[in-house]
Amino acid sequence: MKSPIFHLSFTCFFLITAVLSADLSKESLGIHPEELKYYKSIKIKCKDGSKSFSKERLNDEFCDCPDGTDEPGTSACPESRFYCQNAGHVPVTLFSSRVNDGICDCCDGSDEYDGKVKCPNTCWEAGKAAREKLMKKIATYQDGVVVRKKDIEQAKLMIAKEEAELLKLRDEEKLLKDLVEKLKERKEQIEKAEEQERIAKEKEEEKLREAQKKANEKASEKGADEKEANEQEKKFEETPPTDFDDFVDGSSGSSDKEKDKTDNTIDKIDHKNEENTENIEGLSREELGRRVASRWTGENVGQQDKEATDNKEEEHEDFANTQDSGDNYEDEYPSDADEDTRKYDEDEIDDRNKYEDEDEEEGPYNHDIPYNSDTEDNTDISDFPTLSSSSWLDKIKETFQSVLKAIKLSNDPVDKSEASRVRKEYDDYSKKLSKIQSRISTLSEKLKQDFGPEKEFFSFYNQCFESKQNKYVYKVCPYKQASQVEGHSTTQLGRWDKFEESYKQMHFSNGDHCWNGPDRSLKVKLRCGLKNELADVNEPSRCEYVAVLSTPSVCLEERLQDLRNKLEAMNAARAQSHDEL
Amino acid sequence: MARSLKSSQLLLFVFLLHLLSVTWSWKKEEFRNCNQTPFCKQSRSRKPGSCSFIASEPVIENGELVAKLIAKPLQNQEEEPEKLEPLILRISVYHGGILRFKIDESPDSPVTKKRFEVPDVLMKDLDEKKLWLQRISSPENGKGSVLYLSPGYEAVLQFDPFEIYIRKGNDPNAIISFNSNGLFNFEQLQNKREGDDWEERFRSHTDSRPFGPQSISFDISFHKANNVYGIPEHATSLALAPTKGPGIESEPYRLFNLDVFEYISESPFGLYGSIPVMISHNSERTTGFFWLNAAEMQIDVLGHGWNAIDGIAPQHEAIDTHWMAEAGVLDAFFFLGPTPKDVIGQYTKVTGTSAMPQYFATAYHQCRWNYRDEEDVAEVDAKFDEHDIPYDVLWLDIEHTDGKRYFTWDKLLFPNPTEMQNKLMAKGRHMVTIVDPHIKRDDGFALHKEAAKLGYYVKDYSGKDYDGWCWPGSSSYLDMLNPEIRSWWAEKFSLENYVGSTRSLYIWNDMNEPSVFNGPEVTMPRDAIHFGGAEHREVHNAYGYYFHMATAEGLLKRGGGNDRPFVLSRAFFPGSQRVGAIWTGDNSADWDHLRVTIPMVLTLGLTGISFSGADVGGFFGNPEPELLVRWYQLGAYYPFFRGHAHHDTRRREPWLFGEKNTALIREAIHIRYALLPYYYTLFREASVSGVPVMRPLWIEFPADEATFNNDEAFMVGNSLLVQGIYTEGARSTIVYLPRGQTWYDMRSGDAYSGGKNYTLEVSMESIPSFQKGGTVIPRKDRFRRSSTQTMDDPFSLVIALNSSMEAEGELYMDDGKSYDYEQGAYIHRHFVFSKGILTSSSMRSTKTSKKTLSSNSVIERVIVLGLSSSAKSALIEPAKHTTEVEPGPLTLRKGSSAVGVTIRKPNVRIDEDWAIKLV
Repeated sequence: MKSPIFHLSFTCFFLITAVLSADLSKESLGIHPEELKYYKSIKIKCKDGSKSFSKERLNDEFCDCPDGTDEPGTSACPESRFYCQNAGHVPVTLFSSRVNDGICDCCDGSDEYDGKVKCPNTCWEAGKAAREKLMKKIATYQDGVVVRKKDIEQAKLMIAKEEAELLKLRDEEKLLKDLVEKLKERKEQIEKAEEQERIAKEKEEEKLREAQKKANEKASEKGADEKEANEQEKKFEETPPTDFDDFVDGSSGSSDKEKDKTDNTIDKIDHKNEENTENIEGLSREELGRRVASRWTGENVGQQDKEATDNKEEEHEDFANTQDSGDNYEDEYPSDADEDTRKYDEDEIDDRNKYEDEDEEEGPYNHDIPYNSDTEDNTDISDFPTLSSSSWLDKIKETFQSVLKAIKLSNDPVDKSEASRVRKEYDDYSKKLSKIQSRISTLSEKLKQDFGPEKEFFSFYNQCFESKQNKYVYKVCPYKQASQVEGHSTTQLGRWDKFEESYKQMHFSNGDHCWNGPDRSLKVKLRCGLKNELADVNEPSRCEYVAVLSTPSVCLEERLQDLRNKLEAMNAARAQSHDEL
Repeated sequence: MARSLKSSQLLLFVFLLHLLSVTWSWKKEEFRNCNQTPFCKQSRSRKPGSCSFIASEPVIENGELVAKLIAKPLQNQEEEPEKLEPLILRISVYHGGILRFKIDESPDSPVTKKRFEVPDVLMKDLDEKKLWLQRISSPENGKGSVLYLSPGYEAVLQFDPFEIYIRKGNDPNAIISFNSNGLFNFEQLQNKREGDDWEERFRSHTDSRPFGPQSISFDISFHKANNVYGIPEHATSLALAPTKGPGIESEPYRLFNLDVFEYISESPFGLYGSIPVMISHNSERTTGFFWLNAAEMQIDVLGHGWNAIDGIAPQHEAIDTHWMAEAGVLDAFFFLGPTPKDVIGQYTKVTGTSAMPQYFATAYHQCRWNYRDEEDVAEVDAKFDEHDIPYDVLWLDIEHTDGKRYFTWDKLLFPNPTEMQNKLMAKGRHMVTIVDPHIKRDDGFALHKEAAKLGYYVKDYSGKDYDGWCWPGSSSYLDMLNPEIRSWWAEKFSLENYVGSTRSLYIWNDMNEPSVFNGPEVTMPRDAIHFGGAEHREVHNAYGYYFHMATAEGLLKRGGGNDRPFVLSRAFFPGSQRVGAIWTGDNSADWDHLRVTIPMVLTLGLTGISFSGADVGGFFGNPEPELLVRWYQLGAYYPFFRGHAHHDTRRREPWLFGEKNTALIREAIHIRYALLPYYYTLFREASVSGVPVMRPLWIEFPADEATFNNDEAFMVGNSLLVQGIYTEGARSTIVYLPRGQTWYDMRSGDAYSGGKNYTLEVSMESIPSFQKGGTVIPRKDRFRRSSTQTMDDPFSLVIALNSSMEAEGELYMDDGKSYDYEQGAYIHRHFVFSKGILTSSSMRSTKTSKKTLSSNSVIERVIVLGLSSSAKSALIEPAKHTTEVEPGPLTLRKGSSAVGVTIRKPNVRIDEDWAIKLV
């Protein structure tokens, strides 16, 4: 082992500089071997071109180049970097602030040479440990690369299969669509005929009635119309002022403004978590304390909130019901000034707007659905095999022909059995069509996902990864959502967003809103591992979560090669340092 | 269905609007305004000249003037008023231009309750400075007494109308005066009579007020003053705006220590601490006034014409102020000045100067509510190193404890606290944990059990331990007014008692106003009972100070009396400067809050508290990167420099905003580290003379009127002027450079002549800063992980020449931690540059000292700005060696170019006398 050159003890600064300037190695101190050439000449340029310096100013403990070129081996220039060779381990480049600061940074101790501290050379031990660690990592990668390859092959097969299925389904869809179209036409024809028959029959009956009665009937019809109109007018009167009406509809420019205003209001209140002042008077001392504390902490305050949370869940489930009984909701609201409930209700209003507008097909709580839709997907698949068989296709064609024929003969009188058969067929095929369409949409939704450059993440699609940490269970479902489960309550940490950092990280965003904070989000870092394993879920910043997922999907062959090269370099260095010993 | 939904939404909308309006006024409602505070309402409505007291029977007693104040029978009063004992007035004079006057009940008063006098605030040696009055003379008209104050100055007591004032020689005009407007009122204690209803109610709280009305109010006039300053803590301008007078609608400035959630800037509302000290200034004279009283105080600065009769204001060149307090005694001081530094010196002679901090405490602190666990701590620590950003202290907020039981650790999150601290210490870094005054009422908590058993808690009006609500839930509060309890508390900080603490651990006292979540105005009821029967109403503003004091005493004990304590406190009172550092509490991440930090910190400095700062980045909310960078650039100059954030905010450690912003923040922190030797020298100055580290411009330029209202720029010491940038996207800013000097831009070295406004371009790189011509600033240009590793590093001297090509400056250094400097273990150098020669001589007092300090540090670089010299080398005496002289840059950053003359590697020892001569 090479002993550090500067382990002589000096108490005086001058002596050190004097010795340094006498020592030849001053010319190489802290310099990367590949850079030594640069410092060979008598006159050396600062790398930023600002000026040049003579060789005796190299490492002379005075910063001449603002970029630090002249002081690679001292702490004199804040911008310079110190290279330590660390024979037996890996070389390291340090900030100049670490040189002679009394703390051993390089395992070979070369960064501390002013005698203040004695740094033992620990490169051999550290190197050994590092090599062992690296070898373990390489082993993991080796196996991981194999698993990954297999996964990719399988994924490609699956994708091809599903794409083929999709194509086929699209053909069938077209066929079925035409058939349903024709059946509908035929059905309408039949219904028209039936109607005509009915009218004819009615006409006969009519003749039997008195003229007076006929007139009366007409009059009463008119009256009904009028009544309806009145009712509508009344409704209009009852609706709130136009401005506000607009706001609810969200249909005019001014209403958008109004809506913004309300949103702001909500934000502000969210932010401050301030209670209705009047309520404070009636609070017990303890409740008051909790409430005031909650301004800073944002924590739920006491039992009331717990109830609120429960309510929240109930309402959550009964969403469809509440839709129909808005009155209920209206009655409940003012009595419940509690922050959480209020917040929830506001969200709900937003969602209701969406719902009413019908612009968004996705319901507000869609993030719950993928789990279910997944399982449906699977059952759907088992439902369909018959559809793809040739007998089915033949049957469809057959039906198609017969329907076409029937349409042409449309003037025939209505045959009762024919009518019910057409109706049944129409219903059946419509159902089939919508089933196929749903399968198509599921498949195409899946296939348009980003499964990575080699489709290595395909298998993630229908998987969820779980990790239990203290009282929480974290559930990460790639391409869908991530959640935190505590007992019966589930918090959405985010909906699938995308891969980031060249497929080294998965991002889930727009999770449940945080009181006084952002919407929750989760970043899952991907590490090479033999199994899919979720670990280390953390919340470094409020409501911004991070986790680590070990998976063979990121065990890249190139990386394996890098690691092997690194190990080789370490071994070479070790051999060298052994030689020197 | 649609219809019913719509109307429910209307209802919601209306309800939200309602809530919003509640939101806006909500904070105000929680706190009493003057009208809801009977003593304030009543005092504020008093008319000038309504004072009923006259002074009589002056005598000399114990070297003081003692007189009686007798209430004149009021005119038009039908009933014979109850005969009250006269009040006792005592006037005393202290060396160096300090006048004290005290008014209290007569010892013959029939009421047994004694008014509270705030103990342990005035310096113990104050009595030694008392000028023993020998005789009194009568002024010309024979209607008063005249006392000698200081050479050329006299104090006058006028009997009727009763008035006390200071005048110069025979000039009859007052400089500063008491009761010139006749607003003095003193509600004397009386025994309760049948039918007296003394209770006061506010919101759901009732104050039993068993001793009835006892308020004191009076007026102070600062004659010929341009401005008045002081009376922290308010988030408002440096020069105090009038609160009462024609066309002015405002609350008075309130001094009542309160935990105000999300306080707003530009408000006279009382915040976390109180210092009843006001300083007036004009271009010729500075005077000061201090009222030692810990009860709620309200102060009106009266606008011109406030006392107009029929619209005609009396001829009167003064700023009048009206002081009102709920209880206590009148114990007040006039400080004669005449310079700003004299006034601060006089005040700190009375209440003490700032404690000398440890060196590490003057560096950068990293805090957050909360660093979650040991892993988080290790990671943050490692990231600072990874980004080459120095820091000295990592802080842990309340969540580190086991259920908010202070002195304990959450066993899951912090299983090995000692190891954690030792790991930090291995890099020269310290840790601070929080210890608040509320003690969890939990029988399993030994501290509580012991305190309850010993009867150490503050009592409620009925005599039971007061039970309030704070972080841990139900809590009690130690009665820190009692010195015995303070000693007991101090013991809790020993390494044995505070399990998991190490010698590198220091303390943070928060919530010590005290904050009580379910108390009136989020604090303790006024009728709670302290040591000696004092009511909380009398003690309130000093409570936090006693708590702070007890904690510092604990750290002092832990270190065997030779480790300077570091304790940060939010609440403060006169005297807090002797104990530790103060910060401006829970501010917000917005530009207005950034701006207001400067007047807030400057005001604290003016009133003695030198070691203070504001949370960098703003406690509440998420600062945009630009705001955060600007805050670091400004905060790097606060005497106390700490980044802190609320737990709902996003992480904002310096490296989280992209490489560019990381570099900008690193640079800002580097500037502070480079200037640490200068700051430490200034802390030494503050600990000796009281003059603060960070100063309003007018302290340094008292005759330059253009500086009087400037609270955007400030001086660090006498050499450095800094202008903050307080707006988003600023491209340029106006900087006023005071007259009489040349100023050198600290980055470019460009010279500017003083006495002008300059419109300067600004970039994100830095905020404008200038070195005054004629000064020398010592720097350390090598950056380390923490200040600890810089102790032996070499110095740079930056010399900015004045028009006579001269400059001088100082450097103070010691071991940075112990009190050995009191025995002489320090280095204090005086650098003078004149006629091309730089000399270093010792400023140590000539008294023989027991200890000395030597240092291996040398001066590696001398930069001279403003020198026209073609010198190529310098001769160093007495070593008789020469070194090179060449053009050089002002700072060692990429791209900097030569702007001054650099003496290369003189390598003279910092602890020796030497001379460097340019040749």
